[in-house]
Order: sequence, then structure tokens, then C-alpha cells
Amino acid sequence: MTKRLLMIDDDPDFVAGIKSILDAAGFEVEVTYNPKDGLNALQTKQYDLLLLDIMMGRGAEGIMIARKLRKDAKLREMPVLILTGMREQIAFLFPGEPVHPRFVDVDELVEKPVEPKLLLEKVNALIQAAEARKAGKK
Amino acid sequence: MDSASRILIIDDEEVVIDSCTQILRGSGYQLATATDGTSGLKLVQEFNPDLVFVDLKMPGLSGFEVLEKIHEMDATIVTIVITGFATVGSAVDAMKKGAYDFLPKPFTPDEFRMITRRGFERRKLVLETIALRREKELLREQFASIVSHELKAPLGAVQQNLFALEFELSPALNEEQKGKLERIKVRIDELLKLINSWLRVISVDINKLKEGFKQIPITAPLSSALESMAPYAARKNIEIVTTISDGLRPVTGDSLSLAEVFVNILSNAIKYSPDNTKVFVKTEEKGNYLLVTIQDSGVGISKEDLPHIFEGFYRGKSGQAMSGHGIGLAVTRQIVEAHNGSIAVESELGKGTTFAVSLPV
Repeated sequence: MTKRLLMIDDDPDFVAGIKSILDAAGFEVEVTYNPKDGLNALQTKQYDLLLLDIMMGRGAEGIMIARKLRKDAKLREMPVLILTGMREQIAFLFPGEPVHPRFVDVDELVEKPVEPKLLLEKVNALIQAAEARKAGKK
Repeated sequence: MDSASRILIIDDEEVVIDSCTQILRGSGYQLATATDGTSGLKLVQEFNPDLVFVDLKMPGLSGFEVLEKIHEMDATIVTIVITGFATVGSAVDAMKKGAYDFLPKPFTPDEFRMITRRGFERRKLVLETIALRREKELLREQFASIVSHELKAPLGAVQQNLFALEFELSPALNEEQKGKLERIKVRIDELLKLINSWLRVISVDINKLKEGFKQIPITAPLSSALESMAPYAARKNIEIVTTISDGLRPVTGDSLSLAEVFVNILSNAIKYSPDNTKVFVKTEEKGNYLLVTIQDSGVGISKEDLPHIFEGFYRGKSGQAMSGHGIGLAVTRQIVEAHNGSIAVESELGKGTTFAVSLPV
């Protein structure tokens, strides 16, 4: 079954670069360019994975989405691949939290730009882990 | 003189207060007076003086106590003590408690005016320094933002699309074309690394860091760093040998940033060590300091590069001058120094490198 991915990132050029790699690998990729549209999409449709940019708009608006996901019983289980401009920015934005703050229980972090091999590796691993969890719960 | 310049004189002798008032008449300064420490301190709060003259010998609240209290309230106020017995001893004690200058009684009008003038010069410098620091902080934030948005993000998007293009076209390209793409990728990668190193150096808000300091055992950040680096070391079959003493006293600081310091040093050690070697991590207390040493048997750093490795943008020719993961050596040093510690390195090309982080306990 084709896996559906949602990407939330405000840089259309960057998005194009990521999307083409995922398209070529057989994923169905939807894109939104701001947090609001992203949240709408998450509430109305089903996805197997979310690719989330942290630094959007004025600051770290991506964090807001991650927090909402954590609170939502339905969406909490969806795997998230976090895209960050610089790993250390997270360390300094959220002092006192581990560098990879685990916004949701099932997330991973990669730095932009992402090599195609690594991108596909992470996406596949996250989706598989989520499916294993679901199967385990049944 | 700036008409908003305010002087407060606290002295139990009316004679002193009257003569000071006379001397300053027509000078344009605003003057307030008090004859005892308690009302003087109240005036400090209400009147907001730039300069405060405090008589050391007063009944009730002593001059020294008043000095201390003023510095607690506002450390930028310039205090000058009026010493009745012009002994150097009490003046020096007063300066140790934060007084800027002293005025021995009896004093001439000229002496009083001169000390006042110098006090105001000092006050001006203090206020300017504070304003400059604030401005520097604003500029730093703006610069970080510009570098991020205007330089890094676009270049990142370029590189990402290059990755995508290569991914798609690879089967259809000949070796020469692949080679060209590779060159472009490498140069862009170097640019991105350079921008990242600028960002790292300017991103650390040292003042905010210091606000969050608390007592922590050094094992907290150290274990966290060892844990993050474990998979990386395992990949090269590098054994990290730790010798952590018991009963180490805690340090005062921030666990997260110290962890980043250790991550940076460890990742360098692992990166520049050949496979199947060991990295030694040791902690020990030496007097009033706690020492953490990280030693590898890697490629080492050349004599020419060694003095420069903590510089923000230095790119060494030999192996270990470039930073590994994480925050880079320049920021590592900033963080260690923000903890009132120091970082030192010893290295020899081909033999290995030892970093030593020293923190007060």
C-alpha cells in the first residue's frame, strides 16, 4: 500500500528538493507551507508520517505543531521526522531540555539539507517502527 | 554638566552637608542630603542618585553597612566615602566594599569638585558599558537571524535540490558529469559548514546561560555526552575507557551546555582516532578544581594549528583543527569560560590529543 506523507515547511524550494526524492521512491507526498494549513491537513486526512520543519515564520512555529500532536490522542502515534536547520539551535532554543527534545514520543531529527539515502532510511525506519507498534497493540 | 546628574550626600555632620551644598551651588547638579544611614538609603530609592557620598563614621547604621546596602540595591551607583580620620586603612576597606573613591576630611572646595567630577565620569562609563552590552546583544541576535535566513536557508535549499537532481539523474550521467555534480556538492557543503561555524560562535547567549546555573554533579553532563557518542564510537570499534572518581564535589553550571562541551570534545576524539583504538576519559579533583581529561591516540594537531583551534573560524591544515559534531571548539571554550573554568589542549602530530577541562568546585 502506498504510504502517505505530509510535509510542513515554509521554503517551497527546499520542499521541492525533498518531495522529488520521496516521489521517486514511491511515496505519496502532500505539502503545506504553514503551520495552520498543516494542522488542518492533519485533522482531516490520514498520513503514515509527518515531515516537520521547526523554524517557520517568525521563529520556531513548528514546535507548536509538535506540541499539538503530543496532546492529540489520535495523532500522538504518528511518526514525525523533524527537519532542522541546525541541531544546536534546538539546544539553545530550549535550554534545559535534551538536544533532541522528543516533541512527540516517536520522532527523529535530521539536519537540512538531507542526503537522499539518509532521508529514505529514516522515513522507512520510522514508518516500520510505527507499524510494528500498532501490530503489537492489537 | 547634564542637568539630570544627581548627587546624594549622607553625613551626620551638618557642617559637611552645608559646605557641600554651598560648593555645588550653581553647578547644575541636583542635590539631596540625609543625616543618617537609614534615611539616606530611603533617598537612594526615591531620588535615584548617580553619585552617593557616604560618611564612614556615623551613629546608627554604619557607613560600611550603608555602602553594602547601596551596592545591593544598584551596583551601578558610584559611591564615594567621606573619611573622618584620613587613614588609608578605612578608605581601602571601603573600596573593597565597592566604593569608587574616598574624600578625606577636611577637604577644600576644589578637592570636592574634582572628586565629584571624576565620580560622574565613572558613572557615565558604567552606563555606557551597559548600553553597549545591550546593543551588542541585539546586534548578535540580528546577525544570527540574518545569517540563518538569508544565507543558510537558501544555500540549504540549493544543496537539497542538487541532492534530488543527482538522485534522479545518476543512472543517466557519465562519470565526468557525476564528477561535476560532486564538485558542486562539495563546495556548497563547505560553505554550509562555514556558515554553521559562524552561527555556532554567535548563537551562544552566555548571559542567559549564566542565569540558569545550578549545582550539578559532573557525572550528569558527562554521562549524557558519553551516551550520545556511544553509537558513533561503536561504529569505529573505539573503546571509551572512563575513570570517574567517587565523591566528586558538584560544579555550578548548566548541564545541557556542559554536555555539549563534552560531546564536542568526544566527537573530535572519535573522529580523528583510527578504528580499534581507545579514548580515555578521566575525572579528578585538584584542589579547588575538577578536571576532566579526554585523551585519544588519533592523528593529533600540528604545532602551527594548536594555538588557533579555539578560534571561531580557524580552518587548520592538519587533521584535528576542524570541529566534529555539535558546537565547535570556539563555542566549547565560551561555555567553559562562562562556567569560570578553562580548557587546555596538548597534542602531537601522529601521537594523539588530550583535552583538559577544568571547572571550579
